[in-house]
Amino acid sequence: MENKKRSFLSKPGVASVLTAFIGVIVLMVIFAMMNPNFIKRNNLMSLARSICPYLLVGIGQGIVCITGNIDLSIGSVLGMSAMISATLVCNGMNVILAIIIDLIACLLVGLSNGVLVGKFKLPPFIGTLGTMTICRGIAQLVNNNYNTGDIGTGGLKDLFRDTFYYGRVGYVYYGVVICLIIWAIFWYLMSYTATGRHIYAIGSNVDAARLSGVDVFKTTTTAYVISAFCSFMAGLITMAAAGMGSMQAGMSYEMYGVAAAVIGGISTLGGSGLLVGVIAGASVWAILQNGLTLANVPVAMRNIIIGIIVVACVLFDIMRRSGMIGAKKKAA
Amino acid sequence: MSDYVVTMEHVTKTFPGVKALDDVQLHLLPGRVMALLGENGAGKSTLMKILSGVYTRDSGDITIFGQKIEGDLNTKQAQALGVAIIHQELNMCQHLTVAANMFLGREITKGGRLDNAEMNRQAVEQLAKLGIHDLDPEESVGNLTVGRQQMVEIAKALLINAKVLVMDEPSSSLSNAEIVEMFRIVRELKAMGTAIVYISHRLQELHHIVDDVTIMRDGKYITEGKFEDFTMDQIIANMVGHEVKNQFPRETVPKGKKILEVKHLNAGKMVKDVSFEVFEGEVLGFSGLVGAGRTETMRAIFGADRKDGGEILLDGKPLEITNPGSSIRHGVVLAPEDRKKEGLCTKLTIRDNIALPNLDIITAGSLTGKINRKIENEMIEKGKSSLTIKMSGADAEAGSLSGGNQQKVVVAKWLARQSRVIIFDEPTRGIDVAAKVEIYDIINELKKHGVGVIIVSSELPEVMGISDRIIVMCNGRITGEVDPRHTSEEEIMTYATQFGDHAAAS
Repeated sequence: MENKKRSFLSKPGVASVLTAFIGVIVLMVIFAMMNPNFIKRNNLMSLARSICPYLLVGIGQGIVCITGNIDLSIGSVLGMSAMISATLVCNGMNVILAIIIDLIACLLVGLSNGVLVGKFKLPPFIGTLGTMTICRGIAQLVNNNYNTGDIGTGGLKDLFRDTFYYGRVGYVYYGVVICLIIWAIFWYLMSYTATGRHIYAIGSNVDAARLSGVDVFKTTTTAYVISAFCSFMAGLITMAAAGMGSMQAGMSYEMYGVAAAVIGGISTLGGSGLLVGVIAGASVWAILQNGLTLANVPVAMRNIIIGIIVVACVLFDIMRRSGMIGAKKKAA
Repeated sequence: MSDYVVTMEHVTKTFPGVKALDDVQLHLLPGRVMALLGENGAGKSTLMKILSGVYTRDSGDITIFGQKIEGDLNTKQAQALGVAIIHQELNMCQHLTVAANMFLGREITKGGRLDNAEMNRQAVEQLAKLGIHDLDPEESVGNLTVGRQQMVEIAKALLINAKVLVMDEPSSSLSNAEIVEMFRIVRELKAMGTAIVYISHRLQELHHIVDDVTIMRDGKYITEGKFEDFTMDQIIANMVGHEVKNQFPRETVPKGKKILEVKHLNAGKMVKDVSFEVFEGEVLGFSGLVGAGRTETMRAIFGADRKDGGEILLDGKPLEITNPGSSIRHGVVLAPEDRKKEGLCTKLTIRDNIALPNLDIITAGSLTGKINRKIENEMIEKGKSSLTIKMSGADAEAGSLSGGNQQKVVVAKWLARQSRVIIFDEPTRGIDVAAKVEIYDIINELKKHGVGVIIVSSELPEVMGISDRIIVMCNGRITGEVDPRHTSEEEIMTYATQFGDHAAAS
């Protein structure tokens, strides 16, 4: 009955990832037909760059979702990252030092989330709702409740803007390259290391994982720290793009992260999903924004369409899951 | 005789208010299967949880492989000493592969990278030792049958060099073919010299694999010996004991006309072709082992679970029950097994709880759906006086009441509307003796008013003492019907363990 060679398609999660990538292609064809400018080289270049923040928050939220939790602080950490780095640079601090301080602050938030959820067993929705509010407050506090001015030019500041946003190699912006490298690192972690396997295990059955000797607290915290790191990077990209820090940066990005993860086939119920799907998920999100704009769809309509697509994806995921359970029971 | 791999002597364990284990002993030999037998609540699982380090004992001696355990034994220590337990509810990560589950928490890595090839190889090797050659180590565990998942758990236990394996009701969710396979594996384990504790309610299957038996009752050790030295009747007699049972005030009222009739009910895996009838003024008992499908049957009738087939008739007319709401409107109501979770909203007041299913009556006269305090108060007064609920007032939190009084609130909400059939699922679980008798009085009172009462109870003396008629279920089917005045616990146990194909209907 069982065939020796497993077909690629039968591997868990592959089907939903393929579906997501087919969705990307279909959307691109539709938008290209609606407005030929959509597939002009310049639009595709900036489209790829606009995927980056969604991809980063999607990676973070996706990994937290695989543990069976959620991270609501993502958007606020993004805003905090942008505000801290911009404020420090505006006050004359060396860009590299500012980034390091910013990084430490963001990772501390991830650590706190891990302690609250993993150690003190706060419901993740409540625990990270708290840190979300606190971090938005910090983003407002660092520059006395003002957005920062322009970070200025020259030396490291130009290098910073180029690296994270404006510079490119060939037709690809550096930012895209950086994001893909980050993605590759976490893809490796999730697919090929014991830590990754523990992340899947606690999302699948936390009791079984604990009884097998998995450190649930450490694993949960790792996921939240990764998520905070991704938000930190997305914050730097946002800041480099604007050349300043905005207190509103990253508003609702935790939800964009959920959307990217879910469209890419990661279940919000934990235990399953492949990180490669997030690339498709983030792309769908960015393409919809870009394509609907080019097609002159009003903002309000855009939001409604995108919302419907997200709900449809989650509904599909739940139906697929219950179908899987039904199949198992039949076999028993 | 120090061939024993495990000895437990004078083990005692007390939980708040209950002596779960009282001077219990257990002796395990390598390469032999010890059946640990007793009714639900006899203390088998507690004893095994102590052996595997989940619970700590209050007193008593435990020796594992000649090593006397000083102080508390924790799960890690127990595992290191080679004790593994296969839980009744399998503990696996459904999304992970077979090999990933077997190596969870002790993954093999090469330079920080998972060595899947090696883990797959060892998983296959381990499974082969159990005679399983056709299981793909890369298959997700969630895609396997329950039987196969159990094999994976056993293989996982062997991987950590388990020398003592506790199997808690391993056959309860397996098909017949899977049970044969599981027996074969148990024999393999025996040949390897593993000591096995086998907990099962299926007495008929024991002779296939069991070497020794230990029998427990009410937290006490009763006897042990070689399996062949016991007859089945002796085993059952030792399990159920012989206390007299007459603290049950059964009152007989003339049986009225037929109220409820269930025909060929099927629902899920646990309810198979169930048919029975209930009459006015009758208490119909449902007996059987835990997991026999009694609760599932009642939930399906009440509309809490989906029905796959069958008919329900009230006063001879077919009833369309699709959800609890429709069932309640027809007067067929359920006092569920788990009072705190399903019977009451414990954070709401007594008043709110009684009113909740009766809001249709309470708001009946009002256009805006306003709650009519007068009707509500009448309802609560009625409940209070007929049930003697002890309470500071109707506005106390339902969760603050004792178990017995909580049960009365559950009953009160069904008395407030003219319920025809009241189903009680384990009505006296966790309730002290005095309150139990009060519940029995209520049931007798309901009888006198012509209500049809169904009682699901795992306590044999209770179901025999209070019912007018008893239906016994096993494995989702009705396996027998007895008259409690002319039956014995032994007879009921025989029906309750009738797993085979010859499920003789009465």
